[in-house]
Amino acid sequence: MISFENVIKKYGNLVAVDGVSCNIDKGESFALLGPNGAGKTTLMRLLLGFSHCTAGNIVIEGLPAGRSESRKKVGYLAELNRIPPYLSGEEYLMRHAAFCGLTGSRAKKFVGEILEQVGMNGSERKKASQYSKGMTQRMGLGAALLGNPELLVLDEPTSGLDPLGMRDVRALLEKFKKSGGTIILNSHLLSEVERLCDTVAIMNKGRIQVKGPLSHIVHGNETLEDVFIRHVEDKNSYDE
Amino acid sequence: MMNNLIRISVITINDQMRQKSFYLLLAIAIVFVLLTRGCYQGDYSVNGRQVENIAVAWYASLIVFHVIAAGMLLMASMLSMGIFSRDRDDGSMVMFLSHSVDRWQYVLGRILGTWVLSTAFMFILHLAIFLIALANTGGMITGYLTASLLCSVNLLYVIVLTCFLSLFMPNVMAAIFTLGIIGISFISDGAYQAMQSEQIRQLIYSENHASLWRILYPKVYMLQHYASTLITNNAFVGMSPTYVWGNIVFYTGALTAAVLWRFYNSEI
Repeated sequence: MISFENVIKKYGNLVAVDGVSCNIDKGESFALLGPNGAGKTTLMRLLLGFSHCTAGNIVIEGLPAGRSESRKKVGYLAELNRIPPYLSGEEYLMRHAAFCGLTGSRAKKFVGEILEQVGMNGSERKKASQYSKGMTQRMGLGAALLGNPELLVLDEPTSGLDPLGMRDVRALLEKFKKSGGTIILNSHLLSEVERLCDTVAIMNKGRIQVKGPLSHIVHGNETLEDVFIRHVEDKNSYDE
Repeated sequence: MMNNLIRISVITINDQMRQKSFYLLLAIAIVFVLLTRGCYQGDYSVNGRQVENIAVAWYASLIVFHVIAAGMLLMASMLSMGIFSRDRDDGSMVMFLSHSVDRWQYVLGRILGTWVLSTAFMFILHLAIFLIALANTGGMITGYLTASLLCSVNLLYVIVLTCFLSLFMPNVMAAIFTLGIIGISFISDGAYQAMQSEQIRQLIYSENHASLWRILYPKVYMLQHYASTLITNNAFVGMSPTYVWGNIVFYTGALTAAVLWRFYNSEI
């Protein structure tokens, strides 16, 4: 479904993504792990066309990433989702719905369902300026789920959520996964990744250090945290 | 394709009308129209001789036409200066571009929406003056509303120019630069136009040759002046109307291309 071919992204002298190549299949739940500044968010931004590759290609369902058609079936949640403060949650979702091809009563029905799913029923008329960080994140997830996307690109989806909120989001993502959807998840919460994802890639300094199914990466008594630390620390000490 | 463009334009009109600055400008416009109403009521005399009400109303309407057209350039600049930075800050840009919306659709949709709103705003103000004059004198000022629509081309130029500059500098600076560019057009072309009048020529001897930069400079004032000739029925002297049109359309087109190019290469 998605293919990264030797993707390089440079900002001046800084190499944010350094020759990343990997494939993500349809229905796969793929987690990107790595320390801050590893290049995970940059990779997601390249995937969505928010940023242009310095070299290499990203292809979504045969279409180059960055082309608007490639985003037709993609739902995206940014790390720190923001909603225009003068919009109510409902208006925000209706705007998203319009761009998913939903209008009128159909859009209202979908938005109503989404509001219920993300637990924002009753708060939809409030202005976004009155929302907490967690509520904004829930609305963002709702917007990503609108229009039945085939691919969800989530950058720290549980950031700002309390444990109950995290549980709700996890349940939603599990439901999406069961329906055959593909997920690309960038998260620092390793427990969340272990529960939700089939495949993990650990990035550091713009490169994928290790990639594979969870069962292949984590051996014996090791935990995902051990594997993460081993790959990140090894690389850091090597570079130093 | 067009659907996205129209959708973003409509959203832009909606968004702009929710900004505090829009309400401030609306309040100023209402006060201005109310104050203008006074000009049409009353007796005027010059050197002890009574002046016809219709003549006063006609001149007042002409002056107000220019004041509104020029004031709207300021308003258009204020409305457009923060489009991109505000969208970046409040997440609107990501909201649009995470869907199957092309960057050019986003940029043109935002510009088009702001232009439609500014044009409608200016037209309503001109219409209000037109109706006030009609109600007080019973006479219609022909060409008044057509001239208003003609001036909307200037608004588009100002919006695109401000958007372009705001991609390189802080919003307020972009608006100030835009107003500076327009100000130069008003001073330079206004002086040039004044030189065309016989009375001024008799007072000041002038070669009456405009330098190249004056000819090539954006003809914002000239377009407004040309529009006003539709009201006065005077001949538009000194320059071909086609050139004035072509000049503004060329600058608007070139700046739009530059905004699209700059925005295409920027990070979201």
